[in-house]
Amino acid sequence: MKDLTIRNLSKTYFDPYAGTNVTAVHDVSLKVEQGEFVCIVGPSGCGKTTILNMIAGFIPYTGGEILVGGRPVKGPGPDRGVVFQSFALFPWRTVLENVAFGPKMRGVRKVEREQIAHEYLALAKLTEAAGRYPAELSGGMQQRVGVVRALANEPDVLLMDEPFASVDAQTRMTLQEELTRIWQEKRPTVIFITHDVAEAVFLANRVVALSKGRVLDDIAVDLPRPRSWDALNDDARFKELSNRVLQLVRSA
Amino acid sequence: MLWRLSSALWFCAPFMVLLVLWAVFIPYFDVNPRLFPHLSSVVQAGIEGVEDGTLIRHIGASLLRVAVGTVLALLIAVPLGVAMGVSPIISSFLTPLFRFFSVLAGIAWIPIATLWFGYGFGAITFVIFNAVFFIVTYNTLLGVSTIPLQVRNAAASLGAGRWAMLTEVLLPGALPNIVTGIRTGLGFAWRGLIAAEMIATNVGLGYMLFVARDFYRTEVIVLGMIVIGVLWLLLDRLVLAPIERATIERWGMVQRA
Repeated sequence: MKDLTIRNLSKTYFDPYAGTNVTAVHDVSLKVEQGEFVCIVGPSGCGKTTILNMIAGFIPYTGGEILVGGRPVKGPGPDRGVVFQSFALFPWRTVLENVAFGPKMRGVRKVEREQIAHEYLALAKLTEAAGRYPAELSGGMQQRVGVVRALANEPDVLLMDEPFASVDAQTRMTLQEELTRIWQEKRPTVIFITHDVAEAVFLANRVVALSKGRVLDDIAVDLPRPRSWDALNDDARFKELSNRVLQLVRSA
Repeated sequence: MLWRLSSALWFCAPFMVLLVLWAVFIPYFDVNPRLFPHLSSVVQAGIEGVEDGTLIRHIGASLLRVAVGTVLALLIAVPLGVAMGVSPIISSFLTPLFRFFSVLAGIAWIPIATLWFGYGFGAITFVIFNAVFFIVTYNTLLGVSTIPLQVRNAAASLGAGRWAMLTEVLLPGALPNIVTGIRTGLGFAWRGLIAAEMIATNVGLGYMLFVARDFYRTEVIVLGMIVIGVLWLLLDRLVLAPIERATIERWGMVQRA
């Protein structure tokens, strides 16, 4: 696991319908320490997914720089694991093979990579599902696979793009609790994108509020771990932090 | 197993009814065998054809042409379709050509094919090749371009290079469309084959039908028609459908029809 530095990052693209240049991300700087869990929160269209896609290397940036462990980002790579809102599992591979995919690409032998995959599946309580295909699983289970598939490749940074936005509310709460548990166990560096303020505060060490492509504020979350919804639902500090972030995002 | 058996029986039932009607009404109305044969004489022609080997020879020739033409077409069509799927430039350059030639694919090629390859195996295999090639290429292109961008991104961020992207993502991702392409393509190929064999050869099921007409041997014509239909059903049910079940249906990429 390594740290991530974003300096004066910006993204401008030409909008053929408007006929003008549009600035999606404007001069964003952010430092994420090794083992930190940072949530970037903001409304739709604030540029948060664009930032994540640039860190992942899926789209090029037009200004500034992104450094992972000191090295500049050029295109996608296994040092940055990604968890997608749409899960993006390989339907033609079993759950086990999905999780073993990253190690396979690294050239890890079959026996070893399946052992790694089993280990991570156990972490997400998915041992029973190892031999099944993604289409046979519920949305919540599919995203558990998505999370451990990215983790099993031991990336320096884990990038999560609204990963729980397409599962039902109860499952989402369970997944959020599991994610904090897994994070405490493995301590990956995480950048988590969401529009859900409560989710951001629940998960993060730090919440970065974003609007119209600019960073509004950077708020430290000092809630104790392990975190659970039962404990935090009525927690005064949790409410206070959530309200602060919410005011910030809404005022912009 | 029981379910399978009953669905097979259910599939055969309407054909049984047809056979019974045939066996009863053709003798009852005393139809001239030069216009339509008795069931018994068709069965007789079938037995004779198997015994003297002529039927087997015709079937063998037809199947060999289909197999060779299809395999050659797949070997070129799938890589080309993938290349078109990943490269917008190659795709937009070749698409108009494919639109044009997919209309022509079929026996329109027979006259020129016979000039190039002579009568027989080469010309007919070429027709099969054409029927399969354009449809499979187009479907592969379609399949590759419908793979969600996120799935390709996921593979890239897990460390997949160009080759792994091809074998682990693009080909399996395009497989549902490729299989559909093969099924439709082979359907066209099979029809094209019979037509081509009537014109450009001296062996094969199409030839068998066409020559029998000269001798008013309606029992051979009808036998040939039955064999053509049954062979296609067997090919589709016993070869293509199981491939589909074992792969893309298992993966949940298509719903069972």
